[in-house]
Formats: sequence, C-alpha cells, structure tokens
Amino acid sequence: MDRYIELWVESLPQLLLAAAQVTIPLTIIAFVLSLVIGLFSTAARNLGRFNPLNWLATTYVWIFRGTPLLVQLFLVFYGLPRVGITLDTWSAAIIALSLNTGAYVAETFRSAYASIPRGQFEAARTLNFTRAQTLRHVVIPQATRIALPPLGNDLIDLVKGTSLVSVISMVDLFQSGKQVAARTFEPLAMYLEVAAIYLVIFTLLSIGQQYLEKRTSRYVRTANA
Amino acid sequence: MLSVKNLSKSFDGNTILRDISLDVAAGETTVILGPSGSGKSTLLRCLNLLETPELGQLSIEGDTVDFGTDLTDEQVRTIRQHSAMVFQNFNLFPHLTAQQNVALAPVLNGKKSKAEAKKLAGQLLAKVGLEHKADAYPDNLSGGQQQRVAIARALAVAPDYLLFDEPTSALDPELEAEVIQVLMGLAAEKRSLVVVTHNMAFARRVADRIIFLDGGTVAYNGAPAGFFASDHARIQRFLQIFEMTDYKI
Repeated sequence: MDRYIELWVESLPQLLLAAAQVTIPLTIIAFVLSLVIGLFSTAARNLGRFNPLNWLATTYVWIFRGTPLLVQLFLVFYGLPRVGITLDTWSAAIIALSLNTGAYVAETFRSAYASIPRGQFEAARTLNFTRAQTLRHVVIPQATRIALPPLGNDLIDLVKGTSLVSVISMVDLFQSGKQVAARTFEPLAMYLEVAAIYLVIFTLLSIGQQYLEKRTSRYVRTANA
Repeated sequence: MLSVKNLSKSFDGNTILRDISLDVAAGETTVILGPSGSGKSTLLRCLNLLETPELGQLSIEGDTVDFGTDLTDEQVRTIRQHSAMVFQNFNLFPHLTAQQNVALAPVLNGKKSKAEAKKLAGQLLAKVGLEHKADAYPDNLSGGQQQRVAIARALAVAPDYLLFDEPTSALDPELEAEVIQVLMGLAAEKRSLVVVTHNMAFARRVADRIIFLDGGTVAYNGAPAGFFASDHARIQRFLQIFEMTDYKI
C-alpha cells in the first residue's frame, strides 16, 4: 500500500499536467464548438422540409450519432491524408470531438425546442412579437432550462471521450497514466489514479450543472418544494 | 368596427367555417356560442390571424385583408395590432413574473420604455386585483389569478378588440367568478369584447349581441333576449343542455 501511495504522489503532477494541457482545453474547445454546431443544426432542421440546409443538418446528425467516435477520429486523422488533407493531432482531435458532440447537442437542442408548448408561440404571436423576439424572450429562456440536464450528459461524455485521443498519440490524462504504468509495471495503481482524476473532473462539472439548473429553474414550483 | 365577409376555413378538407359574414360593433360585448366543433374557437382565432382563412375578407378599424392569397408579415402585424387574445389555458410565460408578463409586449412592440411598461403593468395588475402578486411566477398563482394576469397582459397592448377563447373553461366555479367579474368590469367600461364561452349566465346578462354557430354557419346573430326566447330547434336543443331538462335521472 505504501508503494501505491508513493507512486500516486510521485505521478500526480505529471497526470494533472496532462489533464491541464490536453484533456481540459480539448474538452472546452470542443464543447464550445459543439454548442455552435448544435445551434446551427437546430436552426437548419427547423427550416422547411424541402430546404437543403435541413437535409444537410439531418444527414450530419445521422452520421455522427450513428458511428463510433473512435472510427470518426481515425477517419479524420488517418483517413483524410489520403485525400490530401493532413491535420496535426490537435486539429484532428478538435474536429472529430466537436463534430461528434455537436450531433448529440443538436439532438438536445431539438428536443428542448420541441418541448415548448404551442400555446407559448401562440401567445407570442397574438402579442405581435417578431420571430427573433419570440426566440429571444420566450423560447430560449425556457429551452435552456430543459436542455441543461441532457447538455450536462453531452459534456460529461465529451470529457470521457477525450481519452480516445491517446490513439492518435496525444498525451492526455489517460495516455500519461498509461506511460507511467508501462514504466512502473503498476497498471492497477495507475489506472485507479487516472479514474479518480476523471471522477474529480466529473464531480466538479456536476456541481456546476446543479448550480445552473437551480438558477434557471427559479420559476418552477417543484413537487417537493 | 370589426367586419367579416364570406369567411371560409377548413382543416385537411374538413370545413370548419362556411361562408361566414358578420359585423361586431366597437364598444359592445359579443358572445359567440355554439356546440363543440361548431367553429366558434376557429372563428375567434381567425380574427387574430392565429388561423388563416382560405377565403373571405376581414376588416378591423379600417384595416382590411383579403384571404385567398398569402399574407405578408406586414399585413398580419397590422391586423393583429387591433386585437389581443386571452386563451383557455392562459399561456402565460412561465419564466416571467406576473408583472414581467404584462410589461413585455409594450416594450417589444416599441410602444413603451421599460420604466413606462413596468408602471403600466402595475396599473393593469391593480385593475384585475392582483397588484400584490406582481412578483409571483405563474406557477405560484391559481388558475383564476393566472387568467387575470393574462387579461392584464392582453390589455397592455391597448387592443381595440379583446378576444376571449373560453377564458373560464379550465377553472372551477369560484375561480371562474373572479375572471367573470373582470370581464364584466371591462364590459361596463364599454371595451370591445368578443367572448367564446359556455357560461350562459354571462351571455344572458352581459352580452350586447349573441352569435350562435352551428356546423360552421351563423344560426343566430342578434340580441340576447331573442336568442334565449328563440324557437329555432337547434338553439332550443343547445339551451336545454344547460338547463338539464332533457336528462332523466
């Protein structure tokens, strides 16, 4: 046990550095991009049934939800060079992760939008709001509250998904732990430590999510209030 | 003056309104009655262009639209300016307080500054007896209170005509009375009200004119006295339902 504690203390700075340099920035960049992608996809999928942008967004979501992230990452990093597009590891990771998460976020936004009752739109129309005003003052405040829990899921999936970038030789939290494990011949100790750090990140995000949910739900009387 | 000419509306080949023509005078309370499916709600929603009729003409206070061709946003907004709708299910914005619900439209329509709209909202909430609930969210209000906030919200856009789509059908009798009192107050002020309702006491006592729809056509259009004394078979059958005289227990 003493040997484990010694190992953990010794390797912790290296793992935290990998998390701070790769796992966390990659998560933040990819999540911000996926929110943008999700917004545009949702807007496109609310266009007319015969609008090509609608088809494009629907096809995008279909493909990226329907194939594994690992396959997408390999296609972007190892596949694209065959058609003349060679990307460095960071770009490939950001593209694959944000496109993948973007597809899930698009579904989250679509369901949040769909859950706004028709009466809300009718009330806005009779009060002569423009479409933009209806979106800004009626739909988005309510949809945000509904989207938060599934959006939290999307974000947490993304954090864990970043561990796959180790296969394109990025030294993220997981890859860093793997290196130490190989050097010390202590896989159990190291992967437990890696798992614990992911768990800490997850816990911090959950607390943030709870705070946001509380803030956006002030107007709702809950059953146990 | 609100005037409808030769209005027709169908949903998926199902004709709801057939060639309806009628006038609603300003300053009067017009009550629209009729059995379920007779088209009364659809007619009311056509006045506010929540539904777009296929054929006919609608004019409100000098602005006229002809249906049959697509309407421009400009046309829709112009016609809509003249009226405001109160819904059966209130449709308040749940994320806004009572006061914010009332104050939002005047600000977004560019008619009032935020401070003016807030003041107006306070006055209108007082008018419906809810000044003490200004900061409450709809979820914390009773149905009757929510509907009164919805009436204040409709009044805030200063409409020429107030349209009520079964405003008390989702309420129990005591809460219904709260809302009916507000409606009676508005009628006494000679506001122009168009009310779809099943409340016969209200129709009898407050209406200046009753329009009875049956199967998408106007079966009666005139004074309440004549309606309640009508010997028209369909109207008698309709009224008997409320008297419960044709039930055997």
